[in-house]
Amino acid sequence: MNTKGFILVVDDDPDIVATSRIILEGNGFEVQTASNGKEALELLSRRKPDLMLLDVMMASDTEGFDLAFKLKEDPEFKDLPIIMLTAFLDRVRTEGPGPFEFILGEQWPVEWLFEKPLDTKKLLAKIEAIFKAKKIVPG
Amino acid sequence: MVAVAHDADPGAAWEKLFKLSWWPVRIRWGAAPGLLAVVWMAQAAGVVFPAWAFVLVAAFILIGNLGIYWHFSRPDHGQPRSPQKCRQLVGWQAAIDGIAFWALMYLTGGVTGPLVVGVLLPVAFVSMLLPVRAALAFCTALLAVLGITAVAEVYGWLPHQSLCFRGVDIVPFPHPMRTLSSFGFWAGTACLTVGLMGSAVSGLRQQIHAIVRRGQAEAVTRRRLQSIFSMLDVIGSVRDLKRVLETAVAEVTLVMQVKGISVKLLSEDGKLLRYAAAFGLPESMVREKVVEVERSPLNKRVIQGEPFVTGQVTATEMFQFGETLSAAHLQSVLFVPLTLEGRVIGILGAYCEKPDRFDPEEVNFFRLTARLVAIAVENARAYEAVTVMSGERTWFMMKVAHNLRAPLAGMLSILEVVRDGYLGPINDQQSEYLRRLDRRARTMLALVNELMALSRNRQRPDGECAATTELAVLARRVQRTFQDKAAEKRISFRISLSGALPDVRGRLETVEQMLENLVSNAIKYTPAEGSVDVRFSRANGTVRIEVSDTGIGIPASARPMLFTEFFRAENAKATEDIGTGLGLAIVKEIADQLGARIVVESEEGAGTIFVVHLPIAAMPAG
Repeated sequence: MNTKGFILVVDDDPDIVATSRIILEGNGFEVQTASNGKEALELLSRRKPDLMLLDVMMASDTEGFDLAFKLKEDPEFKDLPIIMLTAFLDRVRTEGPGPFEFILGEQWPVEWLFEKPLDTKKLLAKIEAIFKAKKIVPG
Repeated sequence: MVAVAHDADPGAAWEKLFKLSWWPVRIRWGAAPGLLAVVWMAQAAGVVFPAWAFVLVAAFILIGNLGIYWHFSRPDHGQPRSPQKCRQLVGWQAAIDGIAFWALMYLTGGVTGPLVVGVLLPVAFVSMLLPVRAALAFCTALLAVLGITAVAEVYGWLPHQSLCFRGVDIVPFPHPMRTLSSFGFWAGTACLTVGLMGSAVSGLRQQIHAIVRRGQAEAVTRRRLQSIFSMLDVIGSVRDLKRVLETAVAEVTLVMQVKGISVKLLSEDGKLLRYAAAFGLPESMVREKVVEVERSPLNKRVIQGEPFVTGQVTATEMFQFGETLSAAHLQSVLFVPLTLEGRVIGILGAYCEKPDRFDPEEVNFFRLTARLVAIAVENARAYEAVTVMSGERTWFMMKVAHNLRAPLAGMLSILEVVRDGYLGPINDQQSEYLRRLDRRARTMLALVNELMALSRNRQRPDGECAATTELAVLARRVQRTFQDKAAEKRISFRISLSGALPDVRGRLETVEQMLENLVSNAIKYTPAEGSVDVRFSRANGTVRIEVSDTGIGIPASARPMLFTEFFRAENAKATEDIGTGLGLAIVKEIADQLGARIVVESEEGAGTIFVVHLPIAAMPAG
């Protein structure tokens, strides 16, 4: 299969999952989806993605963050780029990590954080940038 | 013990009287040497008299004075001088002086001799310092001794003593008539002295007593006034019910000088009385004790509006916990109802160990206090209710906003997928309507966001004013946030800082949100090719932030409503359909929180200037 990369989308909102899949697939990525942390771990154990889109609030308010921290401690996944999505940390800026540091301290486990509703163009640009930086070779 | 003014303290008054009665002791030290000097001079001059007897009298005076000095100058174990002690001091001195003068008089010729006048001295002394009756008794005793001496001399039972100078008897043997007239004269004079001085002094004494009593009453009144003021102060400034009551009971206990004060509050159904605050009472009496109104006829009576006062806690059947009262040795109890607009909300109680402690005047003062306490209770309760209500409202707003955001985000994501053609081509008309749908959904999202911001500001914990914001950082962040949007609209957007500016009060995020809302409005309502300027400068202990634009302006009619939630001016609605009417409400909310002042100047069609005066952050200590 010749795609630009393999992305795992984890969100409990089916509409967000569905639209993310359409957008990412429409832009040439291979996509798998999970609706909670447990499902995500199962999928991760089967095949490691190139990047993960992860919602913050799922069953619990911090399920997404909990998963991200867990993966950062796992030697196999600690280099997995994660982009977090949230509808609720409304003071968190997409422009920069400043306020984000305020919330998480210095060891934030993710590459970037986007506020929902997603700005498709910014999200795609960020994914491209991460792939470029990490020299992820599609395939 | 409550401080009472010194001049009104009876202890101090007795102390003064004691000192007054003490000075003759000091003078008397000179009496014996003086007498000896006179004896020596008289002998040198050739007067013949029994000098040894005079020396004995001098020795008697000295020994007597020593005895008084020894007895009365000992420390009194810190006890204040009592009236008895003062009288004893005067009495002993009068006795010594009386005997000494009697002896001197006898030795110098008896009642008809020159020294008979000396008996008036102790009489005057006693009349001044002792009550009239005691003075009279002393005077009578002295005159009796004088009379007996005179009679004894006349009848020869007592040898006549006299002074002899150059062979001549200065005071010849008394003739009975001369003796009688002399005695009569001196007795009359002595009685007159006692009468006149006694009545004058007792009049003065009564006046002094009246002044002392008035002074004491005034001190009590002053203290009560002070207590009322401090209670009013607490009622006005403290909103926590427990603290208000604790201050009130402590204050009232002190001012009434009782063992303790309690506040019992009536439950909603009026069946139970619970101790809400107490001062000076044993824990066992107060802790978790609940009085059942039905089981306590006394409390029931008080709740019906009648004050209760007893000076002897014996009628135990009146008290549900009567045994606790007697265990604490409380004998006097005063209960008055806490009444508010004719409704009884509880009972204020005073307890004292002394029997029959509360007089009608004190009951009146206590009722006044009860009214104040009732007002305090009501104030604190009202404030509590308002706080709870406003907290609930804020919480509800936050919850609603949160729950609206998730579906809105989903909706907008779907719209975007459709509009961007991921699901197949759409025609122009469809595209136009999807665009409108997107716009409306985004308006709603903005509204939700701002509602959240507003409720978050209300929920924000204290300490906002303790935080500080660096203006250079603030300016940089606002510049970065708006530069693209301004460029898109071809609006010139500049931020300038004049000179080095101090930090301002408030968290960066809070101050930033306030400024963002102002700049966002300015850009939104300024047409293309216009300009938006933000200027920071220092002015009179504040930092002045000016946000000026060349936009549509604010009509004069809209200005009074400008900071009201959900208000939007007509020209604003016509220009921009996305808008919530919450932006400036948030600005106002934050400004109030930080103690900032906002001034608006605007001309419709020409532009608007918002000026915010932000307080400079307090310099960190040290």
